[in-house]
Amino acid sequence: MRKGSSSTASPSNGREGKAPSDRSTDVRPEPADTSSDILDSSLDLEEAHFREGYSDGHRHGVAAGREEGRQVGLKTGFETGEEVGLYRGCVGVRGSAIRADPTRYSARVQKSVRTMEALLDGHPTTEPEDELVQEMVGDLRLKSRAVRASLGAKLENRGYLKGVDNEDVEF
Amino acid sequence: MESHDGAWSLKEVQKLEGHTDRVWSVAWNPAAGVAGVPAMLASCSGDKTVRVWEQNPSSSSWFCKAVLDETHTRTVRSCAWSPSGKLLATGSFDATTAIWENVGGDFECVSTLEGHENEVKSVCWNASGSLLATCGRDRSVWIWEVLPGNEFECASVLQGHTQDVKMVQWHPTMDILFSCSYDNTIKIWAEDGDDDWHCVQTLSEANGGHTSTVWALSFNTAGDKMVTCSDDLTIKVWETDSAKMMSGDGYVPWSHVCTLSGYHDRTIFSVHWSREGIIASGAADDAIRFFVESKDGSVDGPSYKMILRNEKAHDMDVNSVRWSHGENRFLASASDDGTVKIWELVPVI
Repeated sequence: MRKGSSSTASPSNGREGKAPSDRSTDVRPEPADTSSDILDSSLDLEEAHFREGYSDGHRHGVAAGREEGRQVGLKTGFETGEEVGLYRGCVGVRGSAIRADPTRYSARVQKSVRTMEALLDGHPTTEPEDELVQEMVGDLRLKSRAVRASLGAKLENRGYLKGVDNEDVEF
Repeated sequence: MESHDGAWSLKEVQKLEGHTDRVWSVAWNPAAGVAGVPAMLASCSGDKTVRVWEQNPSSSSWFCKAVLDETHTRTVRSCAWSPSGKLLATGSFDATTAIWENVGGDFECVSTLEGHENEVKSVCWNASGSLLATCGRDRSVWIWEVLPGNEFECASVLQGHTQDVKMVQWHPTMDILFSCSYDNTIKIWAEDGDDDWHCVQTLSEANGGHTSTVWALSFNTAGDKMVTCSDDLTIKVWETDSAKMMSGDGYVPWSHVCTLSGYHDRTIFSVHWSREGIIASGAADDAIRFFVESKDGSVDGPSYKMILRNEKAHDMDVNSVRWSHGENRFLASASDDGTVKIWELVPVI
């Protein structure tokens, strides 16, 4: 009788065709290993351009913003300073007049001058965006108008003081 | 109106001509027309002048007694007599308020109040004549104190309205000031100690108020009711608790009680409440209308009915209607047609 050859491999030599180090059939490299594939740089190109563009824009923005902010701050600061300065000056003159001659102005005008003095003394120069500060300037503005009206005084030169119509007094 | 439930008619007494531009406002002199003093009326116009008219006691006809000119450089928009009748305040588009004194029939400008940044729209004296209020397109309301020697001092500059302030009116018995504006609201201002005025209430659409420019307001004699008129074609009536108000226990708020709509189809520029309780209105449709409280016992609060409409009272817009102070039912009206008319409301028997 003829012995038939067996087609089944015997499991005696371990798993067929598998080397111990070759665990995965995925051909993509590990994420950390970007340098190992020449195609990686083309994928990264878009991201690189984006990053470069962003940082350029940011740098320019910061510079331009600073410059614009400086201009706005200068303008606003000047305007506020001019207005508050006017009130300080007027209060200084009127306060001196009252001290020199207590009968110089009516009781009401004297009281208003004192109130303005108190507002100015409490007016800080370091927090321009504080709402309370803006309110204070508003109060000064109203008191000043009332005092000027009572004394029959007029602003000869408006400077940068904003009127209601925001332009030259022209009807 | 207890006395007459029937029809009424409006009799034209006289047409006063002379102004060469629209007439904005009229004001009856409160000290005249009584005790043998001939009745006197002031009118102000786009022609930059103020005319003072007087009634001849014997003929009962009116003539122009004085023309106050060469003072205002633009339209004179509002005029008001002080309670004593000695002073006349006139507010102008030239941003000033002039104070005129009646010196034996001659009128002299004794003071000019400056302060508003642009057109002054209304002037009003308080009941005692110690305060004068002005308001204007610069959105502010000013309170001036009258001092001896026709000196005026500014007591306060009030801001709060967000648009042109059309009219200011003092309450008839208390020093509380009311203002109405292009911003659709009515603001009420009271003093909290020395010159410390602030807004104690705002009557806006949210409180049942107007939905467009409020042009005028007027109080009834008792001071517990107020009528307002607007570009929104309605007239509204407001009330306050008069007993609480009299007790002086802090501010008592006003609330809306009635809206008269459907009677006007053009802007209502003026309303005035007579001593007897008849409300007169002047509108952009050239008509004058009259309303009284309807005693129909409505459960929902007071209601008003129109008792008369005079359709062609003037040839153009009626800007102002004012009842005379006296016992009679005389009404003066001012119009864009440049005339002032004196009327008498008479019951038809």
